[in-house]
Amino acid sequence: MKELAVSDEHELESRLIGTGVERLALLGKHADALMQGYSRDEVPLEALSDSALRRLLAARIVWRPDDQGGVKLAPRVRELIAEMLADETRRQVNADVGETLELVRTLVQSYREAQNQSEYWHQEQQLLRLRQAVDDLNGRFADAIDSLWQRLNSDFGFVSRLNDKIRENDRAQKQIVRLLDGLQLIDFDELIELVGSDGTLRKLLISQLQRQVSQHYTSLREVQSRLTELMARFRQQQSRSRLISGMAAFLREHPNFVPGNYARRSEVPDLINQASPLIAAAAPALDHEPDIRVLTDLVFQLPTPVHKPQAVAAARPAEAEEQSLVAASQQALKQDVENFYLTVIDHPDPMGISALAYLQDSDMEWGDEIWLFQVIAEYQGLPRSEQRAFHLHQAESRASDFNDLRLIHDVTLQLAHLA
Amino acid sequence: MIEHGPLLERLLAGEFVCAVSDDRAFRRLEDEEVREQIDTYLRPLNRRLATNAEGSVYFLAWRQLNDEAREQLSRQLGEVLHSLMPMLEWLQLMQEAMGHDALVAPGDVLKPAELSARCEDNQSLREQLERLAGDSFFGSQSEQLDAQMKQVFKRLKEHGYLLQPHADRQVYLVTGKIDYLVDLVRLIRDEENLPVDDESPQAQESLL
Repeated sequence: MKELAVSDEHELESRLIGTGVERLALLGKHADALMQGYSRDEVPLEALSDSALRRLLAARIVWRPDDQGGVKLAPRVRELIAEMLADETRRQVNADVGETLELVRTLVQSYREAQNQSEYWHQEQQLLRLRQAVDDLNGRFADAIDSLWQRLNSDFGFVSRLNDKIRENDRAQKQIVRLLDGLQLIDFDELIELVGSDGTLRKLLISQLQRQVSQHYTSLREVQSRLTELMARFRQQQSRSRLISGMAAFLREHPNFVPGNYARRSEVPDLINQASPLIAAAAPALDHEPDIRVLTDLVFQLPTPVHKPQAVAAARPAEAEEQSLVAASQQALKQDVENFYLTVIDHPDPMGISALAYLQDSDMEWGDEIWLFQVIAEYQGLPRSEQRAFHLHQAESRASDFNDLRLIHDVTLQLAHLA
Repeated sequence: MIEHGPLLERLLAGEFVCAVSDDRAFRRLEDEEVREQIDTYLRPLNRRLATNAEGSVYFLAWRQLNDEAREQLSRQLGEVLHSLMPMLEWLQLMQEAMGHDALVAPGDVLKPAELSARCEDNQSLREQLERLAGDSFFGSQSEQLDAQMKQVFKRLKEHGYLLQPHADRQVYLVTGKIDYLVDLVRLIRDEENLPVDDESPQAQESLL
């Protein structure tokens, strides 16, 4: 009878293994379609044959939430992929301690029964499942903690907005609280009572589990404090950003806003008390004997100054002065010539007035030539209507018998109506 | 005291010392014993070591506030206020150009060329930069975007908000003086009771 049961169980196990291998292979075979289902909402059906879809549904790799809707990844498969990819946006933290403890209790009782009835193979099976249950529990905590560290170390890099980071951090902190609550459910007093004097169970459920649980506690507390710190930093960043934009908006609205002069208050705010700069200047000094040698060496090390020829540009101010002097004397000459014209108008003389004679009578110091030149230039510069009011006679001669160049000796200016 | 010589000189010259501008000096200043030594040294110069609320920058303050010191502080405050609006606008421009929702912070790396490129593609950023660079605090005369950006960075470097680790490379680091500026804005907000809120709505809810 017992033999039969054992062979039944063997058969069952090999059937399970066969189906498992078959179904795991489905994951690989339809990996493309399944990954598309992971990244989008639904698994695309075009790539799947009817029989393939039936197999995937039978293996509960995909499911159909309602008759009309499309086919989606089963939650467990989604979790598996997220776990494999360490995809923190979708990774779930779920330690399910209560259920595991329930399973452990059942398994321990079943183990004891098998032990009492000397069903060794059955007993071994229960022990194996107990080990797996404890390993799973341990693994779930390890995964959850790994996921938390990943998120922490990346500064929640999988979301970009600060608000999202704050929400994600908040979510992570809640997960930690749940995980810690879960650890709290493990009551070692109860477990000690449960395992009694069985050495194997004791080792598995007491010493091993206790060590692991205390490690998880330490890690969770550490992640928790780091998350709190990071949250404070996020909040500070958010607060700074809001402060700056708020102040900028206020100043834009109130362009004439002037804050009080805090420097005049009896209590000056620490922040604005900033001392004026002080340059710690120093110059070579020769009053300290040992320094003199050093200074002398330094002087010898100085590069010899190279005297470059002075740039022409350096003479510019003097030139400018000269120019302005010339302009001034030109202006004075023009003024004197104008006075000469006024004299001709004021003292009408039918003979006209000789320009040279006028120059010599006055105490002006112009050269003859420059004087005559300016008198002629003034006449030519007059508007034609005014020119007609004067008659300019030039006393001139040929340069020589062979040169027809005319030399002007003098000019006589008279009013035209007298001529 | 001799080992603090160069640090003292920088502090006396009016520099802000932070972890970005001089990591070693900053770590020394975090030691209370060193701070006390420096304070003792500064006493006859009527100066003391000061820091902001977070302790992220150190600078020198007057020990005794005499009339002369108050006069100087008033003038300085006036200058800071003059630069306030352009500085706030710059902070906002950087935040927008980099697509961040946090302000630039000490240690951030800024590349003017990259920022120019972003402003070039975005009319609104382009206009913000133009307005900012033309402000008398930044004083750019140019109409060229690159030149405007360069001038803005040059001025920020002169004022100690930015650090250029290599003179021939257009890469800048944000210094702790930015923290000081933010603290100053907060001070003005608090002193004048301005209706400027820096708490997020969620945080306020949790306070209730």
